[in-house]
Amino acid sequence: MLKFLKQVGDYAKETAQAARYIGQGLSVTFDHMQRRPVTVQYPYEKLIPSERYRGRIHFEFDKCISCEVCVRVCPINLPVVDYEFDKASKKKNLKHYSIDFGVCIFCANCIEYCPTNCLSATEEYEMSTYDRHELNYDNVAMGRLPYKVTQDPMVTPLRELAYLPKGVTDPHDLPPGSRRAGLRPEEIVEQMEPAEAEKEEETAKNA
Amino acid sequence: MNAGIDLQGSFIESLKDFGIPSGAAKAMWMPLPMFLMIIGATVGVLVIVWLERKISAAAQQRIGPEYAGPLGVLQAVADGLKLVFKEDIVPAKADRWLFTLGPILVVIPVFLSYLIVPFGQNLIITNVGLGIFLWIALSSIQPIGLLMSGYASNNKYSLLGGLRAAAQSISYEIPLALAVLAVVMMSNSLSTIDIVEQQSGYGILGWNIWRQPVGFLIFWIAALAECERLPFDLPEAEEELVAGYQTEYAGMKFGLFYIGSYVNLILSAILVAVLYLGGWEFPIPLDRLATWLGVSETSSWLQVITASLGITMTLLKAYFLLFIAVLLRWTVPRVRIDQLLNLGWKFLLPIGLVNLLLTAALKLTFPVAFGG
Repeated sequence: MLKFLKQVGDYAKETAQAARYIGQGLSVTFDHMQRRPVTVQYPYEKLIPSERYRGRIHFEFDKCISCEVCVRVCPINLPVVDYEFDKASKKKNLKHYSIDFGVCIFCANCIEYCPTNCLSATEEYEMSTYDRHELNYDNVAMGRLPYKVTQDPMVTPLRELAYLPKGVTDPHDLPPGSRRAGLRPEEIVEQMEPAEAEKEEETAKNA
Repeated sequence: MNAGIDLQGSFIESLKDFGIPSGAAKAMWMPLPMFLMIIGATVGVLVIVWLERKISAAAQQRIGPEYAGPLGVLQAVADGLKLVFKEDIVPAKADRWLFTLGPILVVIPVFLSYLIVPFGQNLIITNVGLGIFLWIALSSIQPIGLLMSGYASNNKYSLLGGLRAAAQSISYEIPLALAVLAVVMMSNSLSTIDIVEQQSGYGILGWNIWRQPVGFLIFWIAALAECERLPFDLPEAEEELVAGYQTEYAGMKFGLFYIGSYVNLILSAILVAVLYLGGWEFPIPLDRLATWLGVSETSSWLQVITASLGITMTLLKAYFLLFIAVLLRWTVPRVRIDQLLNLGWKFLLPIGLVNLLLTAALKLTFPVAFGG
């Protein structure tokens, strides 16, 4: 009998516990209802990609020396470099260059290793097509620059989280001229320049 | 106590004054409440669909529908129109008749149940003596329709969903009926009007929720399970069963399921309000207030105010419960089928029985408070 009563008591306790947990959960969801939406109303609003964003790759035809380093560092040897060796000038003559962005993983290794900096990453990420073969960009397509979010009159550009003032998490309705937390890159460079100048002076004295 | 506005009586009387025989006058009255019921239920669905989408969005820190009408209020209309114009597909080797009959059999009982929903003393379509029992009887037709559509779809997911729906509906009907039975025992009547009457007189203190807190919880949980709302939405569990018995449905047949589920949800919420939250009663007893202020009970403006307040109160209570249902949807994860049946048979059923016995005992010992 006592054991049965204990069982009943335990069961009741468990039930109360479960009910309390559900109540806690409800209070969490209820609390979330009062928060502001965190969504970006794409395509009317777009986030400004950060300066290190690795989007669609840009290619400058005239800079390329057809060294094929990009092909060698690519995880799947994706770039197609079509050149002809000109025996007279002993130079490679580039005819076509293409990357299939349907296969590319945007690791930007090619950009990293390109000796002449003819490859660079853009901030373009809207590349949907009806046919995957349209993603195979040739040198003309890769030479195009994407439309900037900040210059598009149809789009409200929004800053990413790291570019918001300290303590602000909502990119909507920022006061004009508000700047992000911490120093901007140019300011860091400015700070570093006098220090470097001093160092150079010291080395000059020692010598 | 004054009966308040009697639309039917005055309508028939005024028609009789024009020299129309009383039988014909009654026949002319009949389509009006039916039409009103269908319009009311449909508008209710549009409202709850919009509310559900907006509340869900708020709970997930989104905005929700925004572009169809101001604040997206027309989104439900747009969705409905889309469903109306979609092609009506019957899958290959499906049983055409059962496939069509299924959704109809699910929807019609739900709409019929609105017969017994009271918004005021006389603001009810029919004051059937069986009242709440009629609702329980009608709601047990639903699993037949679900099973029918699941079986007829020629799809294993549909069949599983239909079977689950039937199992769930049948097992949760029993605790539901037990919870209702305790209330019925207290009010000595199955009629929804009498159940609300029995709670009136003391304002918020007289509501059944204070006398039947356990019954209220049982009823609400069981009602959510009957409506296949999220903690219990196993029949359509999209991760396992695609969409359960609705998998093969498209266009208006799917729309019927959709409407049916939301109308059922509203109906359950209204019935919780009627059974446990005093129906159309205002939290402060209005007729006492009127006597204190020295206003005659029969003055017409007071009657109009009480009637409109009654409708607003019923809807407010119902929509409060619906809000909780939506919030619960984003709080609680779905239970497993064995957990569902365990909860129904091993938890709600015994507790419902104990609640019923306790109510009976309390009724015998305190006939004043528990309806002698």
